[in-house]
Amino acid sequence: MAMQQFGKDESGAGIKVNEVHDLTRIERIGAHSHIRGLGLDDSLDARAVSQGMVGQNNARRSAGVILSMIREGKIAGRAVLLAGQPGTGKTAIAMGMAKALGEETPFAMMAASEIFSLEMNKTEALTQAFRKAIGVRIKEETEIIEGEVVEIEIDKPATQGAAAKTGKLTLKTTEMETIYDLGTKMIESLTKEKVSAGDVVAIDKASGKITKLGRSFARSRDFDAMGPQTKFVQCPEGELQKRKEVVHVVTLHEIDVINSRTQGFLALFAGDTGEIRTEVREQIDLKVAEWREEGKAEIVPGVLFIDEVHMLDIECFSFLNRALENDMAPVLVVATNRGITKIRGTNYRSPHGIPIDLLDRLLIIATQPYSEKEIRLILDIRCEEEDVEMTDDAKELLTKIGHETSLRYAIQLITASSLVALKRKSAEVEVEDVSRVYTMFVDIKRSTQFLIEYQDQFMFNEVPMAEADEADSMED
Amino acid sequence: MLRTGGKSTSVVSGGRKKVHTTFDDGSEMVEEYDAKTNELLVRKRRTRTVLGKENDWEYIVGDAPQTFNPDSTLMKESTQNPCFSRKDSKVNFEWRVRNLPYPPSTYDVSIDHNDGKIVIRTSNKKYYKRIDVPEMKVLGAPLEDSCLQWKHANNTLIVSYRKPEEALKADQEDQKFIKQAKTSTGGADMDLDNPEGCKQQ
Repeated sequence: MAMQQFGKDESGAGIKVNEVHDLTRIERIGAHSHIRGLGLDDSLDARAVSQGMVGQNNARRSAGVILSMIREGKIAGRAVLLAGQPGTGKTAIAMGMAKALGEETPFAMMAASEIFSLEMNKTEALTQAFRKAIGVRIKEETEIIEGEVVEIEIDKPATQGAAAKTGKLTLKTTEMETIYDLGTKMIESLTKEKVSAGDVVAIDKASGKITKLGRSFARSRDFDAMGPQTKFVQCPEGELQKRKEVVHVVTLHEIDVINSRTQGFLALFAGDTGEIRTEVREQIDLKVAEWREEGKAEIVPGVLFIDEVHMLDIECFSFLNRALENDMAPVLVVATNRGITKIRGTNYRSPHGIPIDLLDRLLIIATQPYSEKEIRLILDIRCEEEDVEMTDDAKELLTKIGHETSLRYAIQLITASSLVALKRKSAEVEVEDVSRVYTMFVDIKRSTQFLIEYQDQFMFNEVPMAEADEADSMED
Repeated sequence: MLRTGGKSTSVVSGGRKKVHTTFDDGSEMVEEYDAKTNELLVRKRRTRTVLGKENDWEYIVGDAPQTFNPDSTLMKESTQNPCFSRKDSKVNFEWRVRNLPYPPSTYDVSIDHNDGKIVIRTSNKKYYKRIDVPEMKVLGAPLEDSCLQWKHANNTLIVSYRKPEEALKADQEDQKFIKQAKTSTGGADMDLDNPEGCKQQ
């Protein structure tokens, strides 16, 4: 359990020692949590294993080219299709692009099925997604509280969950000192940021975002354990509360939301924004154009990624055709794992389930199935990500399984087998654990095989197929 | 005089005459006068950010309501701190800092002529405040040291600045406006922030 100290008194006499239960939370691990970028070098060539990416060299190289197009910021309305079999890293490449673009460039991610909602029509959902992918870099005045932490005091109720935590924070500048009452959210973020007495912090008054500016010079002589990256800064001057101009990127959708209601900013937290009237959008577009002319704002076109794009229907596709021609359109990246299939909402068949006219506007990047060697490397990365120790033999076996069944199945077996290994009190996963889970959980191939054999013992097979058909036609 | 350039509407509710003024840039101002004596009790302004978001009310005269809900409020100045408010008299602009227990020798009140603000300093570095006088900005008159006075008593520091001739004149105009302002009692479409004036059902 972690212990943390809060206190003003350096002598050690009056230090309060609090036990903090929720300091480190175990985070759930996502399927693509290991991806940190596209893994390209400066000349846009794909490194073999880098930033969590393995293989797919061609696809990654093309994604890199697209990325540099986006960074230039000059192109609008381009679209890219990532096509490939299931489990060949399409979503991983999109994630890699998002990570490589950095925080400044808006990256909106959605699954195509998200647009089918009863509360919002399809084109509205798509328009919102488009506008989430376009940023406006603008200067804004915000109120911040900037000072040196004198003391943090957090009181916890005697019994867990009986009452909210309360706390006080004392901040000072060279001229003044103020005590603040803290809300629960603020207490949480202060503990998360590990703010302690002697830190110089800036707190955004509206959002509560805390920025640690460094340690105060006055504290530089404390016998404190500090890393080489510890920065010493002067204690701020003047009033604690200041107005400061900051440049930040907001998406068009955020501006829409702010202006579509009187209490607009609350909707940002509520999540559900509903439909936004076209007049509001038109007004905002005009305003943004005005700002651009005056040099107050800059457009930052981002990326909209639509996964499983074959789930869109024909109306959406024709909407996309039109929307891509707008000069404010973001770069659209779509992904699909379908071959030649029906376009949703029609009876026509088309490659990838996308109409030809839209396909014609797309740059297509194909992903190939992974080789056995690449699967091994991916499994290595995932083992590390999921904190599982595995012997080489076990990995070998898992690789074989991954090659013969699917990569996803093999990845799923990692945690399962580590749990089995834990059961027999072994820190390392060995071959027997992997083969154990392999027999416990069937993959698609074995499952299909099993179904073919025992089909007639399942439900609704009492009447043979041919008879059922006849009965149907009799009714007609 | 801060109302110039805006559109005003007024209502009487809860014994107060309330004047609501909106400006072209989307900012607004609410003033509350005592219905009997026409004394100014509250004057607050609110502007909008570049993106159209509403800022918090800025209380020029009167006290902001103090609410603290640990679940939703991020942080708020504790009640242990000195609290600052403005309440003018007929001839002076007056500011009070309550809850200041230090001896009078601690304080230093002066005018910063660079940005036209009154500055309160404390020698023990506990309190510091730069006071903006928007009326003087509107008049375009610089602050003068001779008009400034302060005293400390009962844990309260009172800073006063004698109103110039122009400000007194503007005050009279204001009073005239308030007296002749059309006011309906408890108007339905305009309950500013006081729902008790709203007569539904």
